[in-house]
Amino acid sequence: MTGPTGVGIGWRPEIAGFVADLPGLRFVEVVAESLAPARALPAGLAQLRERGVTVVPHGVRLSLGGAEPVDPARVAHLAAVAELVDAPLVSEHIAFVRAGGMEAGHLLPLPRSRAAVDAVCANVARAQAELPVPIALEPIAALFDWPDDELDEAQFLTEILDRTGALLLLDVANVYANARNRGTDPRDLLDRLPLERIGYVHVAGGAEHAGFYHDTHTDPMPPAVLDLVGELCARRRPPALLLERDGDYPPAPALRAELDALAAAADFPVVT
Amino acid sequence: MTDAAAGRAGSGELAARQAELVAALVAGGPVPPGFAPAPLAAARAALLRKRAGDVARHWPLLAAGLGADWPATFQTWAGDRPTGGSLRDGWDLARALRDRGDLPPLGADELAAREAGARYDGQRPPRPRRLPGLGRAGGAVAVQLLGRVRLLRPARRPATGPGGRR
Repeated sequence: MTGPTGVGIGWRPEIAGFVADLPGLRFVEVVAESLAPARALPAGLAQLRERGVTVVPHGVRLSLGGAEPVDPARVAHLAAVAELVDAPLVSEHIAFVRAGGMEAGHLLPLPRSRAAVDAVCANVARAQAELPVPIALEPIAALFDWPDDELDEAQFLTEILDRTGALLLLDVANVYANARNRGTDPRDLLDRLPLERIGYVHVAGGAEHAGFYHDTHTDPMPPAVLDLVGELCARRRPPALLLERDGDYPPAPALRAELDALAAAADFPVVT
Repeated sequence: MTDAAAGRAGSGELAARQAELVAALVAGGPVPPGFAPAPLAAARAALLRKRAGDVARHWPLLAAGLGADWPATFQTWAGDRPTGGSLRDGWDLARALRDRGDLPPLGADELAAREAGARYDGQRPPRPRRLPGLGRAGGAVAVQLLGRVRLLRPARRPATGPGGRR
């Protein structure tokens, strides 16, 4: 199977019908933990595979940034899902989701310290040893920073990518959210990241709530995020853009309009 | 100290600090030293909102029964309780509401059906009952036979007068 190209969308059971009806679609992503390798693929996903649509498993609970070694059973599951959908690559986050025996329920940021870089790189190496395909790592959106960062974000991410050889899954909405909440310019990070390492790009909607911008995946994509996609493409166009929507699904025309806007911003073929 | 020993010390410290942070976010633990309180509070609130949505998907009748009170009811209950997964979170909350007489009829129907279908001790993940099972909650009665659950009797609905339901 070929790597992700063009405009894609996160496959979710709730919008399986919408996704199935996108005539030009070449690429979707599926939450790895939502699939059971022992069972058959959901019908909608199986039909996309028959059409030759690339399916990328996206892990959300590996906790690669945890100080403890990554759970081998979770890595084995991700590897099995990659085989099941004949994926060209898989992706996960630079984050941790549990510690001290407790689940946080979401992706949490790491301190940008040498010790955290070591922990992530060790876990990525453990995962890479078992995965049948390359892994792309996604920097997350975080509402807070740790108090004693030794590295800035570009140094932290570049160091991890260099040491692991992993691809970059750049989430433009996360770049926007972090910069907005920190009061910095999101373009500065684009200028300093190794854009040639991008496997594909995430884009999503969000909303302001109590003074913070939240990367909700349940709101429309703000114009500023679309502008940042343009800024990225002007520097180096990534191979693929993927729209993530995880709830409060809008009417089909609204979702199609977001996919069309992404295609226009990157000069990719329209998929709708 | 050798590099390897320094690495172990670093990872041990990182583990402890990650655990402190998670405890502050989901278990009512103190704000770890040096963290700005307001962004951490925003993150904690966002986690609770997301969790309330996840549990509502697993317990749709419980959430619907509470209606507009669902987010506040869930978040008050869950604020200092780490998640046991959405299924168990909803189950624990439904039992707590039942015990204090605040379980709405729709939630009682759902709880009775779940109790009939699986054995749950409140500590370990629920396990499907292999033998026939009976579940009761708030007047609702459900039975499970060969893996199929039926609601025999729904919970009592509040009386509706001439002006309709209160």
